[in-house]
Amino acid sequence: MSDRPTPNSDAMIFLDQVSKRYPGQETAAVSELSMEIKQGEFVVLVGPSGCGKTTTLRMINRLIEPTHGRIFIDGKDVTHADVDDLRRGIGYVIQQIGLLPHLTIADNIALVPRMLGVKKSERRRRAQELLEMVGLDPALYADRYPRQLSGGQQQRVGVARALAADPPVMLMDEPFGAVDPIAREKLQMEFVRLQERIRKTIVMVTHDIDEALRLGDRIAIFGPGSRLAQFDTPLEILSNPADDFVRDFVGSGAPVRRLSLLKVSDVIAATPSDLPSGANAIAVDAGESVHRALELVLGSRAEGIEVSVPGDGSRYLDLQTLLTAAAQPAKVLS
Amino acid sequence: MSTAAVQAVTSRSETRRSRTWVLPLVVLALLGALWAYVGSLRLDSIETRSLASDVVLTALWEHVQLVVASTLLTIAIGVPLGVLLTRPGISRAGVVVLAAANASQAVPSIGVLVILAMVFGVGFWMAVVALVLYALLPVLRNTMVGIRQVDPALIDAGRGMGMSPREVLLTIELPLAVPVMLAGIRVALILNVGVATLAAFTNAGGLGSIISSGISLDRTPVLVVGSALTMALALTVDWLAGLAERALRPRGI
Repeated sequence: MSDRPTPNSDAMIFLDQVSKRYPGQETAAVSELSMEIKQGEFVVLVGPSGCGKTTTLRMINRLIEPTHGRIFIDGKDVTHADVDDLRRGIGYVIQQIGLLPHLTIADNIALVPRMLGVKKSERRRRAQELLEMVGLDPALYADRYPRQLSGGQQQRVGVARALAADPPVMLMDEPFGAVDPIAREKLQMEFVRLQERIRKTIVMVTHDIDEALRLGDRIAIFGPGSRLAQFDTPLEILSNPADDFVRDFVGSGAPVRRLSLLKVSDVIAATPSDLPSGANAIAVDAGESVHRALELVLGSRAEGIEVSVPGDGSRYLDLQTLLTAAAQPAKVLS
Repeated sequence: MSTAAVQAVTSRSETRRSRTWVLPLVVLALLGALWAYVGSLRLDSIETRSLASDVVLTALWEHVQLVVASTLLTIAIGVPLGVLLTRPGISRAGVVVLAAANASQAVPSIGVLVILAMVFGVGFWMAVVALVLYALLPVLRNTMVGIRQVDPALIDAGRGMGMSPREVLLTIELPLAVPVMLAGIRVALILNVGVATLAAFTNAGGLGSIISSGISLDRTPVLVVGSALTMALALTVDWLAGLAERALRPRGI
């Protein structure tokens, strides 16, 4: 027992050799998967259907009981803990949203606090606070019923409900899958901003690699046979795919997609230069993505960008240097 | 979008409300016509005795008692049984129980009554037992259907947020099954009003005794009064059940 691995102190979720095998099936749905997810990290599980990503997600809150292996949440082995207690401490968002149609929006959000015995007035206050947090006016929406809301609005409520008891961990199973494409992108971006504020440990399942690249701090790409093909940052996955499966799965255009993940600050270190006199440069913040910088340059017909570095004056990069720097992953990642 | 949805909700409840007043008007018209019909007749002594107000009111009261007792018992048996049969693990037994309930309804009610009377003797409670057997199917089936039609995603969401199976049943499954269950109870009520007329054959009283004496004494006015009162009672019960259905249906669905 003592030789078995235990999670590091900064790990929020730790899966130790977790397997799921359904009776009567040849191959395991998930086999001997080990994964460590740090506190405050946003991890996206992605892969073709049947690769075990959803099974993995649902084993974390034990909606699916693993056949073998151990699950740790916040350093505690919860493999055999009380499931209802465990789940009340984990936010859960599903594609179908699953708001209870006979309860008002406020009552839906307050479901977990109610189970935890929070007082009614406090629950109400919390629901209003959360509605505001997900961008819905409490005065307008708190007392409505779910079917009076659009799909996008309903999923905002779904997120609010998962956050109601302020759980450290959130599990999301294709949360934006049922939302129409235009609302989806908006919702994704808002969710990224929300996550920057609340810093939950999030595990999300999607089959959409673009969504994974856009949202995840790290991405776990599952291959056929529930193999964990690569578990790394979006930039590393685009720059150094582990194998052909990952390369194929990510698809074409990796170098261009990298541009939106690279920050201007990542590339200026490569090629410092001063602003030549008479050069037509556009000012860009060092925190912007290279993609955005290029957009600004091309849009304004400038020849390069001028980046102000705090305490170090400003740097100039012409278009060519910017592209060359962006095309060299090694420099960026060293 | 949301305004349109709100409007749709209001207009739907408005149509329901307007329909609410049709049924009592029909019942009043029926009773008025019955009153006029009986008043226009010159009743002989047998008819006068059979239609004396205390005789009619006693029969009506007995009938109501039969219907209320049997319906309450049907609900008390059918709803818990239906819930039980939708729990995982024993849902296979549901097939057997549903088949039995189906069979008991397929058997003509008069047959059920007579056989029960032969086995258990006659009287009020025996009639109630027969009515319960007969009306169990719609309540049982609708409870099971009502619970099974609940979106599995809602149950997944409930389990995922840490509800125990009991909390899932009480917070999600039962409230969402209420409309379907109520429809089954309403059917059982109406069935019971009709079938309870047969209770007269087993000496349990009710409006059926007026009908059967109308037949055996060959007095059409007596027969008509018994039948019309049964109809009026069935319509009234249906109306009341409709009101209850509206009041008990959870908002938002």
